[in-house]
Amino acid sequence: MFYFDHSATTPVHPSVLDLINKVQKDFYANPSSVHSAGKKAKAVIEISRTRIASAINANPEQIIFTSGGTESNNQVFWSMLNKSKSHVISNKIEHPAVIKVLKHLSTFNLDYSLINVDKNGLISLDELKGQITDQTSLVSIMMSNNEIGTIQPIKQVVELLKDKNILMHTDAVQCFGKISVDVELLGIDFLSLSAHKFYGPKGLGILYVKNRDTINNLLIGGSQEYGLRGGTENVASIAGAGLAAEIGSKNLKKNAEKLKGLEIFFIKELKVLYPSAIINGHLTNSLPGLINVSFPGFRSDILMAKLDRVNIAVSSGSACGSGSIKPSPVLSEIGISEKLNLSSLRISFGSTNNLEEVKILLKELNLILNN
Amino acid sequence: MGHIAVGISGGVDSAVAASLLIEEGYDVEGIFMKNWEEDSEYCTVEKDYKDALQVCDVLDIPLRSVNFAKEYWEKVFQYFLEEYKNGRTPNPDIMCNSEIKFKEFLKYAIDLGADKIATGHYVRSNILQDSVELLKGLDKGKDQSYFLHTLTQKQLSKSLFPLGELNKAQVREHAEKKGFNNFNKKDSVGICFIGERNFKNFLKDYLPSKPGKIVTESGKKIGAHDGLMFHTIGQRKGLKIGGGNGDNSNAWYVIEKDINHNELIVGQGHDHPLLYKKNIQVSKIHWINNEKVELGELSAKIRYRASDHKCSITELKDGQALIEFEVPQFAIANGQSVVFYNDEICLGGATINSSF
Repeated sequence: MFYFDHSATTPVHPSVLDLINKVQKDFYANPSSVHSAGKKAKAVIEISRTRIASAINANPEQIIFTSGGTESNNQVFWSMLNKSKSHVISNKIEHPAVIKVLKHLSTFNLDYSLINVDKNGLISLDELKGQITDQTSLVSIMMSNNEIGTIQPIKQVVELLKDKNILMHTDAVQCFGKISVDVELLGIDFLSLSAHKFYGPKGLGILYVKNRDTINNLLIGGSQEYGLRGGTENVASIAGAGLAAEIGSKNLKKNAEKLKGLEIFFIKELKVLYPSAIINGHLTNSLPGLINVSFPGFRSDILMAKLDRVNIAVSSGSACGSGSIKPSPVLSEIGISEKLNLSSLRISFGSTNNLEEVKILLKELNLILNN
Repeated sequence: MGHIAVGISGGVDSAVAASLLIEEGYDVEGIFMKNWEEDSEYCTVEKDYKDALQVCDVLDIPLRSVNFAKEYWEKVFQYFLEEYKNGRTPNPDIMCNSEIKFKEFLKYAIDLGADKIATGHYVRSNILQDSVELLKGLDKGKDQSYFLHTLTQKQLSKSLFPLGELNKAQVREHAEKKGFNNFNKKDSVGICFIGERNFKNFLKDYLPSKPGKIVTESGKKIGAHDGLMFHTIGQRKGLKIGGGNGDNSNAWYVIEKDINHNELIVGQGHDHPLLYKKNIQVSKIHWINNEKVELGELSAKIRYRASDHKCSITELKDGQALIEFEVPQFAIANGQSVVFYNDEICLGGATINSSF
C-alpha cells in the first residue's frame, strides 16, 4: 500500500513496536503495586514521562497520560466548569474534540465564542482581543489545523493574554515531529498530543499542564497520574509513546525537511499535470507534507475510490459514520465553495514515504485526471 | 466480464445480488448510498452500513460510500412534501429510483469506471436486438417492476438485476450459506426516511396540518380530521367515527379528499360504489421502450400491492392519457402510479391525477 494519510494516523515505528511488545510481555505488573514487579512497571512509565517532557521542553511533573488527544482536550475544557470565570474563546476550524465539547459544556453554563479564520485559515489576533471579556478563563487555539495544516500564531496569542489571568491551551496533535513543539518557548498552559500521530500507538494521549492547580480530574478513580487521571496506566503504550516522542524530537529537523521536500516536489509536478488544481490553506506557514488540494470538475469520493483501487490511501472532507463524505466544515470556513469542497483531497506525507512513492501517486493521479 | 457497481444497502437482497454476480465472474465493487442526513434512533444508516461492510468483507470486495442526501432532499423529499400538500399520495420509492438510484448513482458508478450497475430489485431485464425489456420478477409476491416503470432504455441497458429469477426464500438461503449477518434481517417496509416512526408526527414536522370535517357523501358531518394529508383513499382504520352514524354497522372508508373544502368524504362498506372507478386520467406517461408497444393485451395496476387488470388507453397530448379498466378498481389514489403490463413485460407507467 502507498500510504499518504499520515494526518489521520501514522504507522507505528518498528523500534516502538518492539518496545511495546516487550513491555506488554515483561512488565505486566500493575504500576501501583508495591512489589518489585509493580515498581518496575512504574519505572517504565516514568522513563517515558521523562522522554516526553524532554521532547517538548517540559518537566516530567507536567506530563499526564490520557487515552488520546480527545481526552486531553476534554480534560482541559471540563476543568473550566465551576470557576470564578466562565467564558472560553476558540475558533471555527478546531477539531470536533474542541468545538463539540464546548457546545456540550455550554449546557453547564460555560459560555464560549468561536473566532473566524481568514481564507488561509489564520485567526486574527485583533478579533481574539475583541472577544476577551472579564469572564474569559481560557483561550484554546489549535497549533495547526488537521485538514489544511495552517500554523497558528500561538506564541503571539500567549503574549496577548499576558497579565490577563487567562489560561491558554493548544491542541498540538498534528504538529509533533513536524514542527518544533516547545512549551517553554510558547509559554502555554496546556497542550494536547496524541501518540498515534507521531508513529506511536493508538489510544495514548498526552496532556501537558504547566501548573497542576489549574486542572481537575476528568476520569475519577485511583490516584494515578498525580491523582489527575484515574485508571490503571496503559504501560506498554505509554512506553511506546515515550520512545516515539524521543525519536520524533531527535529527527525533527531531518523529517521536516524531507516532508517539505516531498510536498514541494508533489505540488510542482501536480501543477504541470493538472494546472487547474487549487492548493488550499496557507502556502508557507503550514505543516510540512500536508497538502489540501481541490480538483475542479472531479468528485473527491470518486478520486479517492480510484486511488484506493491502486492501493493508494489519501483522505477527503470529513468522513461520517457511514463512510460517506460531507463537505468539510474547515474548507467552508475558509471560504471554499461547496462544489470545490467536495472536489478536495488531503494528502499527508510521512517519514516512511519517499520520492518514488510520490512519483507513483503523481502517475496514478495523472491517469485519473487526464484520461 | 466487466466491472459492476452494486448498490449495497445493508439488506439481504443487494448482498445476494453482489454475491451472485461474483459467482458469475464479474468484477464487483460495492457502493453504499447515504440519502438522508439524520442519525437518530429511527434512522438505521449506521447499522445498515455495518451490515454492508460485513457483506463486502465476506465477499472480499471494496465498499465505497457516497452521499446523495442533498440530491435526495431536493428531488425526492420536496416532491413528497409537495404532493402531500396538494392532497395527493406520493410514491417516493419510485422517485428515488428514477432520480437517485438510476440517475445519480448510475452516473457516479460510470464516473467510477463501472460498465454497469446492479441492484437487488426483484425484476428481470431481457436484452433484445435493439432494445431492452423490463420483466416482472419471477417471485410474484416480490415483483418490484411497479417501482421501476420510469426506467429508460439507457438506464436499463446499464443495469443488472441478479435476483429476478429468485424468490425471497432462495435469497435468504444463499445469504445464510454465505455467512452474511443480514440473512434474516427483516424487509424494510414503508418509507425509508420515516422508518419505524409515527408517520403523522413525522409529516407534521414538515407541513402544517389543517383540521377539518369528516362528512358523508350527502354532506352530513360525522367526525373531524387532523388534516387531509394524513388520510388516503380506501383507508379504513383511524377515522374515529363513532357508532350511531350511518345506516348500517359497516366500516367507514375514505372515498374522497375534497381539498377545496378541506373535507374528508367517507362512505360505508368495502363495497361502497364510490370506492370503485373504471376510468383514470393520468399525466407524465412513460414508455420503457420510448413509445407504446402494441403487444397484444394491455393491463395495468394502480398500486404496488394490486394485481394487474385489463385496460385500454387513449393517449392525449403532452404525456396525458385516459385509462379505462374493464372492471372497476378499488381506491384509486391520486399521485400514485398506474403501471402498464403486457403479461410479464412492464411497458411503462404514468401518474394518476383523477379517477371517475
